Amino acid sequence: MPARVANGLRFLVVLWVIPAVALLSGCGSTGASAKTTPRVVGVAEKDFHISAPSTLKAGEYTLRVHNEGPTDHELIIAPSRTGSLPLRPDGLTVNEEAIEREEPGSLDPGAPGAVRDLTVTLKPGRYVLFCNMEGHYMAGMHTDLVVQ
Amino acid sequence: MKLGRTRAIKPFAAGSSNKAPIVAIFVTFALISAATIALSVTATKASLHRTDVIQVAARQRMLAERYLEEILLVRSGRQADPAYTAGVLSTSADALLEGGTVPEVNGDDDETSLPPADGNVLRAQFVQEQRLVDDLTATGEAVLRHRPMVNLPETADEHVSGLESIQRLRVLAALTSSIAFRAAQEIGRDDESNLNNLLTNQVLLGVGGLIVTLLLASGLLLTIRRQNAHFRSLALSSSDLVIVLGEGGCRYASRSVAALVGTSESDLHGSGLMDFVHEDDRALIEKVQSSGMPLEFSFRMLNRTGEWRHLEARVNDLRTDRNLRGVVINARDTTDRVQLEGQLTAQLQRDGFASRLGEALEMVDEEREAFNVVERAAVEISERTPMELLLSDSSRANLSRVASSPAIEAPGCPVRSPFSCVAVRRGTAVVFDSSESLNACPQLRGRPSGPCSAVCVPVSFMGRALGVLHTTGPEGQALPGEAVSQLSVLAGQAGARIGTVRAFEKTQLQASTDGLTGLVNRRTAEKDIRALMKAARPFAVAIADLDKFKQLNDTHGHEAGDRALRLFSQVVDRALRDNDVIARWGGEEFVIVLPELDRFEAVAVLERIREDLAAAHSGDTRRFTASFGVADSSQGDSMEELLSIADGGLYASKKAGRDRVTLGDSESAAQAKEAGRERAGAVAVTSEPPPDGNGVVAWRRGRASTHEAAYEEEPPPSGIQIR
Repeated sequence: MPARVANGLRFLVVLWVIPAVALLSGCGSTGASAKTTPRVVGVAEKDFHISAPSTLKAGEYTLRVHNEGPTDHELIIAPSRTGSLPLRPDGLTVNEEAIEREEPGSLDPGAPGAVRDLTVTLKPGRYVLFCNMEGHYMAGMHTDLVVQ
Repeated sequence: MKLGRTRAIKPFAAGSSNKAPIVAIFVTFALISAATIALSVTATKASLHRTDVIQVAARQRMLAERYLEEILLVRSGRQADPAYTAGVLSTSADALLEGGTVPEVNGDDDETSLPPADGNVLRAQFVQEQRLVDDLTATGEAVLRHRPMVNLPETADEHVSGLESIQRLRVLAALTSSIAFRAAQEIGRDDESNLNNLLTNQVLLGVGGLIVTLLLASGLLLTIRRQNAHFRSLALSSSDLVIVLGEGGCRYASRSVAALVGTSESDLHGSGLMDFVHEDDRALIEKVQSSGMPLEFSFRMLNRTGEWRHLEARVNDLRTDRNLRGVVINARDTTDRVQLEGQLTAQLQRDGFASRLGEALEMVDEEREAFNVVERAAVEISERTPMELLLSDSSRANLSRVASSPAIEAPGCPVRSPFSCVAVRRGTAVVFDSSESLNACPQLRGRPSGPCSAVCVPVSFMGRALGVLHTTGPEGQALPGEAVSQLSVLAGQAGARIGTVRAFEKTQLQASTDGLTGLVNRRTAEKDIRALMKAARPFAVAIADLDKFKQLNDTHGHEAGDRALRLFSQVVDRALRDNDVIARWGGEEFVIVLPELDRFEAVAVLERIREDLAAAHSGDTRRFTASFGVADSSQGDSMEELLSIADGGLYASKKAGRDRVTLGDSESAAQAKEAGRERAGAVAVTSEPPPDGNGVVAWRRGRASTHEAAYEEEPPPSGIQIR
């Protein structure tokens, strides 16, 4: 009788383990790939501040943008000869439409914790990196970049 | 350990081995159902809460904007209550983060209770919202109170110090509104992903449960199949005989049954089985089939070699079992055991028979009684078998029937001489199955009762044939071996006893008979007298004495004396009736016993004898006479007394001159005793033969001759004399 019970238990354990392993392995597969050709530059965004290098040499760059939260942030690179950008009539956001053609690149709003790459070719000049979520630019989410 | 790994085959452990998988299947179903329901319930509950949270979070956006408007209204001198809005904003921000109650969104006085925020992203957003609300309301208050925009908090890491006051208020309101919106979105997204997770989990649970159940079920099926295989192989290889009886007879017979009777299993189905069951056992099998009883029985089946096998069966009544609907019989072949038991029982019976027979014969001291024992023993061996015991007479030439079966007519074997009997010649028991077969005993042929079988056992003693024990039976049905051995025991023991009795009787006869005259001796006569007295039968007794026998001996020699004694014996013997007795008392003295006569009747008989004796003398036989003394049973109570009185009569006859018969009385008896004592005393005292020749005789011949000595020297006494 004990032998029979032990067999039954072993049987049950095996039956439970099979689907469990299948579930774990199905959910756990992730692939990692990296383009290494452009130079990678780290950019951190958080309420209400952007950390980025202030000077770069002209060339192609991959900006690895890390949203440290707590809310969504976007990243827009706009040339700025004066260091300031035109605002919309509401006085809370940059008028992107006015500068759109000159933008070397931009990232749409990303969730907190996200790390996204933005590949840009930067020509020499003065640029502003900013987040244009409502009020963020006004609250200080912008930084200047000089490309030589 | 090797043993530990050995898996036991348990074909009959139906209950326990199948229970585990079945229970596992049910448990799996139960667990999965419970998990699904629990998931749904928590998801629904969480969803309900989230709706409240979303509504409150979304209202923050609206409140932030209204707060700005109300500040501006108050600034422009209108009526508004920005402080209340600030309060709701602040309370709501706190409650959204840590849980708590807030005014309900629909504007009634009711309150809604919120759970603490959960998830790092959401909590970080609510923390940020809290800070922004604080900064917003601080700025709003400064604007309302017209205070300069200095030393105002920037707790949310915003950089708004350079802005003009209304501009600053608008940016803060926008940031608050923005983060409130973002948080509401986050919650909504959570909700959605929760729902998706719920769906996914439920699908996974369902699929997993199905797989587990299928695996368990197939495992169960495998186990059952393996068990069935085990069981089948056990059942097939078992030597036990399994029969299932149901409607219409045999419904199943195991391979072992078919192998026993030497037919196919299908031939046994229905009524086929009964063909192999012993006729006497069929009713029992039918009873078992119809009633399931008895629980244990034995029956016989004919095996392939035509031999009856004894089977011991156990009955399992499974008529109510839906799978079987029959009576299951498990049987074992116990023939060998039954036979052994039979042999042992027969041996015991034979031993018992032999010892009882021995005891019965031991108590026998006459042939006639032995024959009776033989008759009764024969009945015990076989009541319905005609039997007879044929014994030879003492000449061992002729056989005659001395015992036969009491209730049945004796077989009537016509054999006349022991040496014509096959069994006697062979010295061993012979069995004839049929009187008509070629090698049958010729004595069996042509019997009036027709053809028969016979068993003949010789009866012998010390290797000498005494006769034969003869039995007959129906033709072809001779007695079984068991009975034959019992007959042999009977013949052996009866022969031994009869031989012994015969030898004993012969020696007894020799011992009780006088060698010279052939008459019984004194002891026998005394026994007869005592028997008559004991039976209180009247009788007369006489003592006879040959006259002047001593002179006859001395003059003509012992030959002449012996001839005289023999002649006297013959004369007396001829004169007596069958049950009268004459015995030689010793010497020339005789005692004659005459039952049913008194002394006077006896005198007549004795007188005739005296006359016969006188007439009998002829040729070379010397003439002699005899004297008699008579008494009868009315004269005394003991043999000694009667003999003493008769002796008195004899004494008187001698005294009166011999050759006469005299009735004795107590007086003459006393005289005879006196004379005898004197003579005997003289002899005894001297211890040497006295010079007198009569004395020598008296000494040599004992008391009997004292009379002669006594009365020869004395004159005849007075006494009653007849003639």
